[in-house]
Amino acid sequence: MSRYIVERLLMLIPVLLSVAFIIFAIMNAAEGDPVYSVVSADATQEQIEAARIELGLDGTLIQRYFRYVGGMIKGDLGTSYVSKRDVMQTYMMRLPNTLKLAAASMVVALVISIPLGIIAAVNQNSIRDAVSMVLALLGLSMPNFWLGLLLILLFSLRLGWFPSAGYEDGLRSIILPAITNGTGLAAFMTRATRSSMLDVVRQDFLRTARAKGVTERKVIRKHALRNALIPIITVFGVQFSNVLGGSVLVETVFAWPGVGRLVVDAIEQRDIPTVTGALVMTTMLVTITNLLIDIVYAYVDPRIKSQYAKKGFKLWKRT
Amino acid sequence: MEKDLKKMPTPAASSTESASLSTTQARLVSKTFKKRSTWASVWRQLRKNKGAIAGLVLLIIIIGVALAAPIIFDYNTDIIQNNIRERRQPPSADHWFGTDEMGRDIFARVCYGARYSLAVGVVAVLFALVFGVTFGAAAGYIGGAFENIMMRLCDILSSIPSVLMAIAVVSALGKSTLNLMIAVGVASTAPFIRVARAAVLTVRNEEYIEAARAIAVPEWKIVVTHILPNSLSPIIVQATLRVGSAIISAAQLSFLGLGVPAPAPEWGSMLSAGRIFIRDHSYMTLFPGLAIMVTVLSLNLIGDGLRDALDPRLKS
Repeated sequence: MSRYIVERLLMLIPVLLSVAFIIFAIMNAAEGDPVYSVVSADATQEQIEAARIELGLDGTLIQRYFRYVGGMIKGDLGTSYVSKRDVMQTYMMRLPNTLKLAAASMVVALVISIPLGIIAAVNQNSIRDAVSMVLALLGLSMPNFWLGLLLILLFSLRLGWFPSAGYEDGLRSIILPAITNGTGLAAFMTRATRSSMLDVVRQDFLRTARAKGVTERKVIRKHALRNALIPIITVFGVQFSNVLGGSVLVETVFAWPGVGRLVVDAIEQRDIPTVTGALVMTTMLVTITNLLIDIVYAYVDPRIKSQYAKKGFKLWKRT
Repeated sequence: MEKDLKKMPTPAASSTESASLSTTQARLVSKTFKKRSTWASVWRQLRKNKGAIAGLVLLIIIIGVALAAPIIFDYNTDIIQNNIRERRQPPSADHWFGTDEMGRDIFARVCYGARYSLAVGVVAVLFALVFGVTFGAAAGYIGGAFENIMMRLCDILSSIPSVLMAIAVVSALGKSTLNLMIAVGVASTAPFIRVARAAVLTVRNEEYIEAARAIAVPEWKIVVTHILPNSLSPIIVQATLRVGSAIISAAQLSFLGLGVPAPAPEWGSMLSAGRIFIRDHSYMTLFPGLAIMVTVLSLNLIGDGLRDALDPRLKS
């Protein structure tokens, strides 16, 4: 098992390097020489060249990439063209806000989706099932930023229960953004919970449990849900990246000072180091989280664990 | 399902039948038999699914609106021309959805906006489909190191959150409708690689592929004429569902000001313009959002229906 974890961690290195390269290459393909966004209009050729070296814009793409990666290892993501601040510092200041929002969204999603999915699966083809599935479908089809606007309209402008923007009000100000971001996720997970539970509900061990007199409530909670959990965790993990990505919109709607807002503002100001740095860091976060989830369910499910113990994990599955 | 099976002639019965008929008739028999067994049966399944039919009707209406919009409304006078005297009017008999901050009729703009959303959704998914299926099918068919590299690349692509990926691409290429399509397309390619590879893997070792190889059909022809048609169903389902999420992604980018440039009536940018006035003029944000939701809902309904119809095992 520890071998599996070590190998997965080792595999993380090329993945992170490639992610950084893709984003670095895309951002460097931007039209226009970024050096002109820094120097004044009447700068001489020498001043421009000096600025180019200072910004690290000299050399080929590959050379610049390696310089970037070299800095990245030391925790240096460059300096913002606009604010002249260290990108890493700015990112780390914003990150806790985004993580708070992501965590709150996940909680909202879990609270809605697990009960709804179970109710739908246990009462398959009933009216409750139909209502749950229609709700899930609506949640999937609704753009999250629009839902956010509607929530602001109802709960902050009409009813005045929650603030419409900012994060100064503590718990009260995170509720609307979390519901907005969590709804789409809840929709995905309700469907996943339902189908995973449906697979389990018909199995023999549940009939055995019922036959020996276990209460229906306990059968569903202890026997069915436990076994249905792995696919649900998988969906949950996959959706984490969507929650982080999707929070760009939610942060814009609610003026939430997170990473997403940072990226969008930086794009408007053509502040390439900030955009690149923030994208690279966020993607790394997602990749590392996915790895952690993989490891967690190898622990949770003895079946997966024994699989790895037997075969070992190979970087190349077939060569 | 059992009923359908009973209705279908068994291979033995059809062969004895066709033996007694003339050759042209036999060809006709086998032809109708073939047709019924594929798309006709999918359609029969789909017809029973109320949700899918509702989705189909909705989508046909939306496509109709998109096609009719330039005939009913003149782009220069009805869609983008400012009319300051009539700005921010609530919904009325003259302006069904009200007017926006420039006095433009929101109903006309929402109708016209269907053109952008559908076009961006379909083109982006076609882009993802062409690249994804080519690489995915190649990975599944060739296997070995190539497959491994493709799949690792796919892991890397899907670990970049798709909204951020699209934002990066648009900010690099510049704001335009075409770049929006490319950005959304790039961000939705990875799932197609996965689905196409998995689909090809399931048919690759079937006997009829071996038979084709035995009679020396060239490799590319095996892939194009035998493998791809038989692994189409998961790809079609994926494509239908992806058009919906591509429409949402496009609206998101436009909402952030990175999509279709103003003054074009794109739903996402209409929402972005209307949100400042949400306190007193909520209709400006209500209708474009509703349009996005209904369109995506119709595609999701059809996608779910197709998935059930194409793969009865998933039907539970």
